[in-house]
Amino acid sequence: MKRGFIVGLAVIIAGLLLELASGPVVWTAMRWPANIVALGVFVALITGLGLLALPSVGDKNGMGAVNKAVRWLGSYQAAVPTMVYAVGLTTIMGLTRQVNDGRWINDMLTFWPFVLIYILMMLIVGLAIMKHTIMISNRLKRGYEANGHQDRSWLLRREIPFMLNHLGLFIALCCGTAGNPDIQRMKMICETDRAEWRATDEHYEEKGLPIVITLNRFIMEEYDDGSPKRVASEIQIVTKSGKKVETTVDVNKPYEIDGFKIYQYGYDQKAGKDSEYSILEIVRDPWLWAVYTGIVMMLAGAVSMIILGKTTKE
Amino acid sequence: MWEYFIYFAVASVLLWTGGAIEAWRCKRIFAMWMTTAGLMVFFGFILGLWITMEHPPLRTMGETRLWYSFFLPVAGMIVYSRWHYKWIFSFSTLLALVFICINVFKPEIHSKTLMPALQSPWFAPHVIVYMFAYAMLGAATIMAIVLLVQQHKLYRKRIADDGQQSLVKAVEVTDNLVYVGWGFLTIGMLFGALWAKEVWGHYWSWDPKETWAAITWLAYLVYVHYRIAWSKQVKTAMVILLISFCMLQICWWGINYLPSAKDSSVHTYSSK
Repeated sequence: MKRGFIVGLAVIIAGLLLELASGPVVWTAMRWPANIVALGVFVALITGLGLLALPSVGDKNGMGAVNKAVRWLGSYQAAVPTMVYAVGLTTIMGLTRQVNDGRWINDMLTFWPFVLIYILMMLIVGLAIMKHTIMISNRLKRGYEANGHQDRSWLLRREIPFMLNHLGLFIALCCGTAGNPDIQRMKMICETDRAEWRATDEHYEEKGLPIVITLNRFIMEEYDDGSPKRVASEIQIVTKSGKKVETTVDVNKPYEIDGFKIYQYGYDQKAGKDSEYSILEIVRDPWLWAVYTGIVMMLAGAVSMIILGKTTKE
Repeated sequence: MWEYFIYFAVASVLLWTGGAIEAWRCKRIFAMWMTTAGLMVFFGFILGLWITMEHPPLRTMGETRLWYSFFLPVAGMIVYSRWHYKWIFSFSTLLALVFICINVFKPEIHSKTLMPALQSPWFAPHVIVYMFAYAMLGAATIMAIVLLVQQHKLYRKRIADDGQQSLVKAVEVTDNLVYVGWGFLTIGMLFGALWAKEVWGHYWSWDPKETWAAITWLAYLVYVHYRIAWSKQVKTAMVILLISFCMLQICWWGINYLPSAKDSSVHTYSSK
């Protein structure tokens, strides 16, 4: 436990030095294909270390330093202190005002110590997954040698929930982080009856899109007190791939076409109901399916925790 | 509809109190039935509110307190049916009463028209699941306090085995409450993420409410892992649980008062 806190502290100090030396994390440098390469290396590293160091369970004295370190990293002794640091840093994030282009703790997502602690946490999760994978395969093999078939309830009660929780989190967090620089979020201002294919991204750069949108009608309904009840746009979409669609985009009801999700974003607030234009947000997230895979696994893991409660080792 | 709240509330609390008394007298079936009856009356009010407002009552702090008061006895019933704690209904009734009183005496709440961003099928499950998680984790917190006090007494009096044994069982209950509560916390958070993608275009934006949800989620995760690896260190574990519950409170309502979150969170509950 003590060692875990020391290692975590070392990682934070290393992060601070990096921050001083090179400035904040530049996430835009992680755009495709850099992110897939980095993620591939990370997963290969975990798999390699796991396969090399973890099977030698038992002879503690004969183990090399690397083996010992890897086994330690895959343990609760490493996990708990790292999580405590993650809670601490995230709490600092929650207590300070976060601004884009801020420095240090005011832009936590680009603050090296924060990023490194989360990477360390994912490394630990990855190694724990490897440890369990090896354990499961050994146990299954042993079971077959013993009697051909065996009681598998441990698999259902312990190992599958473990995998859903840990692998799900690993996939969701790693793919969410790695894929973030690839996300395109653009605003398109559509005037009634005018075809539009240009949109501005978060850095106010204009982009041409492979879809053309025409606003047929802007819809706004109000409650008696004048607050908005419904905001929507009737639009026509023509894509480069040859599709032609008439649809309505509501708040909470985006429309997806060719990998783009189209959202109702805004309107001329001064004109309200009589707005001459509608602002649509157009989002492309090529990594979404991977993140959702992780989320679905985590949901299943959570359900299994609710149903099973705490299962103690037999 | 709110003007009728007091009648429903009094009826429910009376029934729940009856359930609590029956539980002390070890009349298990009566205790369960009376609590159920109280829940039905209380849910009758929620349903009435739902129908008259034409949307689920989940928007304001007052409305979420309503659900919290509802789920506390539900959580109590689950615990009671599994472990038969005599005191659990007294606790759930008392806590539900506190939230009811806040709604009666400080109703900075009431009908608020639902803005388009909240008109989603994700809305109800997201908030209801979270409220249930809060109720379970609230119950775990009370267990933690009871355990810390009990352990202190045991230590002073040096009571032997049977005291120890009940302690072990109580810790087991606490663990299970946390597992179930954390499970619901996870589902609530992930439902929120899926909803956020549909309404704001991204599943996680590190909005202050989201940041605090992550903190809370991770803090309880510390407890879960700590309990597995250091199962003998009950005291430290319970302290972790208390800290986690503080994080949960900040996430739930404390955030409305945090300078870092003011004006920048789309999640802060409206009090109108």
